[in-house]
Amino acid sequence: MSRRTGSAIAALLFASAALAAEEVQVSARTDANEVALDGTLNLQITATVSSKGDQADLTLPDLKDFDVVSRSQSEQVAFTFVNGSPTFRRTTVTTVKLAPRREGQLTIEPARVTYKGRTYTTQPIAIRALPAGQPAPPKARAQAPPPLPDPFGDDVALDPFQDMHPQSRDLVLRASVDRDRPFVGQQVTYSLYLLARVNVSGIDKLQLPRLDGFWSEEIEAPQQLMGEARIIDGVPYRAFLLRKRALFPLRPGKVQVEPAEVEVMTGFGMLFSRTSTRRASQPLAIDVQPLPETHKPAGFDAGNVGSWTLTASTDPVTVAVGQPVTFRLVAQGRGNVRNLALPKLGQIPGLRSYDATTTDKSTIEQGQVTGSRTVEQLLVPERTGAMEIPALSMDVFDPAQKAYRAVRTEPIRLEVHAAPAGAPAASQAIAQNLLGAGGLRPIRLRMTRASVDAPPWTREWFWPLLAAGPVAVAVVAGAGRLRRVLARDPAEERVKKARSAARARLRGAEELLREQRRGNASASDFHAEIARALTGYLADKQGIAAAGMTRDELGRALLDRGHPPGTVRAVLAVLDECDRARFAPGGADLPSQEARLERAERLLGELDKLRRSA
Amino acid sequence: MRLLALAALCAASAAQAAVTVPPEARGNALFDQANAAYLSGDTSRAVAGYEALLEEGLVSPELETNLGAAYLRQGKRGLAALHLERALFLDPSDDDARADLLEVRRGNVDKLEGEPDEGGAEAVSRVLAPLPGRAAAVALAALWSLGWALVALNVLRPRARLAGSAIACFVVAGAAALVTAGSAAAHRLTLHRAVVVAQAAAAHEGPSDRAASHFEVHEGTALRVEDEDQGFRRVKLANGLTGWVPSAAVELVVPRGWSDQRRL
Repeated sequence: MSRRTGSAIAALLFASAALAAEEVQVSARTDANEVALDGTLNLQITATVSSKGDQADLTLPDLKDFDVVSRSQSEQVAFTFVNGSPTFRRTTVTTVKLAPRREGQLTIEPARVTYKGRTYTTQPIAIRALPAGQPAPPKARAQAPPPLPDPFGDDVALDPFQDMHPQSRDLVLRASVDRDRPFVGQQVTYSLYLLARVNVSGIDKLQLPRLDGFWSEEIEAPQQLMGEARIIDGVPYRAFLLRKRALFPLRPGKVQVEPAEVEVMTGFGMLFSRTSTRRASQPLAIDVQPLPETHKPAGFDAGNVGSWTLTASTDPVTVAVGQPVTFRLVAQGRGNVRNLALPKLGQIPGLRSYDATTTDKSTIEQGQVTGSRTVEQLLVPERTGAMEIPALSMDVFDPAQKAYRAVRTEPIRLEVHAAPAGAPAASQAIAQNLLGAGGLRPIRLRMTRASVDAPPWTREWFWPLLAAGPVAVAVVAGAGRLRRVLARDPAEERVKKARSAARARLRGAEELLREQRRGNASASDFHAEIARALTGYLADKQGIAAAGMTRDELGRALLDRGHPPGTVRAVLAVLDECDRARFAPGGADLPSQEARLERAERLLGELDKLRRSA
Repeated sequence: MRLLALAALCAASAAQAAVTVPPEARGNALFDQANAAYLSGDTSRAVAGYEALLEEGLVSPELETNLGAAYLRQGKRGLAALHLERALFLDPSDDDARADLLEVRRGNVDKLEGEPDEGGAEAVSRVLAPLPGRAAAVALAALWSLGWALVALNVLRPRARLAGSAIACFVVAGAAALVTAGSAAAHRLTLHRAVVVAQAAAAHEGPSDRAASHFEVHEGTALRVEDEDQGFRRVKLANGLTGWVPSAAVELVVPRGWSDQRRL
């Protein structure tokens, strides 16, 4: 058998035991907890069993501190619907009037009720006996029979026959509610009584009103008419309870409950004439109060009205990883369980959760709807170690206290250990220690100091430092060049610059030519400039001081330098022409001057060509 | 509260030592005690201890990480995000701070919609932040200077054949310059980075409470501070949404004491 199947069987056994336990309800209470030595108090023991025929046997406790003054017993059988199924409930109320034997703190021991071989006991009750003659609190004054306090400490319920004046009517159908200003979601008990001064043999065609605006639940639907004596306006009546329903208002506002109707048969059998009479009850007005806004929790669910407790449990609390755990959340108490909204279990790291199942159980206890809602959720641990299922909280509005309060569970600690070695292969797939990412990292235990200085690129020295390198190189290179310039030979410098100097002069001659056209210069200036260009070049480049030589000497010098004879002749010719033009003005027109300038340029090129090849 | 905690922590450490302790040892003792408070679940005391250390002028990525974690445990997501951002500014390789910051952001109220503004400059800065910018800047300065020195030598003595070494220096200096530029860009963006520390703050159209407000920002949201005026800061979210929020509602990731913030 698998572990899950075993859990299911255990759950069934638990459920059947719980059902058995609910078949019998036993309670005991007194009308006072203090009594004078010469006074009495009433002990009321109520035993309710879910059976039509079987009776519960009551054994009174050993009342060694009390004298039993009187004892009475009443019994009522009720037919109710619980969760849609018919149920008989037999309620036996035993009332014992007790007188204390001595002063001091006394105890009424538990009473025992035996039903179907099982014994149920009540709680012991502590009573304080006061000296004789001392006035006991009003609550402790024994009246016969005193009204017992509301078992739920709720508002004082309205008397169903309050303000009723049947006058001379023999049959009256009376509808009543136990409170006419309930809160939304608070139980209102609707009762329908038939009051009769004549013999009633039966009823038929009972028609209850539509109860729009309410969630209703059957409390009592007697199958047999059982009357109780009531005296109303001095007239004795038999009061028959026909129906009792619990109503839970769904919304605030004034609600009108329509009249109920019933057909009543009076008279007996064949000898007496049987008559049938139709009766209708009076309508009822209920003013449903909204839930108070003061101190209303945020996100409050309007269905959570009543007196509820919340408990949580897991089974088991120690488990192997991968094995399922059942988380059970139970809300129990008084109110409309079907409207209850239970808190949800969120995602818990390391626990895989499956869909929850909800089970509702509703019972009637002394005219009040009580019940429980159980939410069961399967959780599967995915990692080893200690885990905690957090506390869950639910806000409720308690109509008895007229206040909101939070009911909460305790956190549950779950111990998850590794799956045992050799576990079945099928479960090994799930029995892994799954370590998911996320969550807060552990803090650091060692501290290091950090620098928050400005970064280097924001410092004053950074950019100048980067610029310093190129600047330094430029300075070095410039200095070297300067040094070379300073160390150069002037003669050599002249040789290097001879051509450019000659060209500069020719450009000057060209300018003079343009000035001649405008009449601002003379031809002699032009020819002097050309002659200076050639002689200057020959002096700087060729080392021939042409100015101090005759034409022959110049020609020989040029030929000695290796210049072609044609070039030498052309040079000499140009120099001669320039001399003539300088010293015989008007001998040269502009076109011939232009031609001379071109020849001089060409000759410079030829002279320089030889120099380069040399 | 912080002063009381500081006094209590000082008194406790003084009682233990009963002698004059150097400031560094005292800082470590306070840090240990704040850590112990954190580990015992007393996060209020832990926060007070960490804050006291910050008020003493201590700057430490671990201190900021722990303070961020303590604030996160207290549910103060804005302050948690601020101190975790500071931890990452001090030590961009701090994985713990990064993971905790992601945890904070998962719970942020503000979810930004739309394309990231300025081509995702914030994302780029995140990528560039871990670059060793300071070391690269120093290397850049050194290699650049060395390269030019070699060039100068080569000019003075051409026969030394130093051109190859100079080129190698310039290549490496170029790589260092790229790293420095990236890091400087990230640093410049971080100087304007801020976190919302108030639970909620209305963003106005101008630096006034009376100016119209079209949206709110909530604690933990990172944004960029672009201007300051009259007790308000002009902030821009990553998707370009811009408004003026009260100065007290946002805190700069890099406080003024840490860096030159005169030019916002």
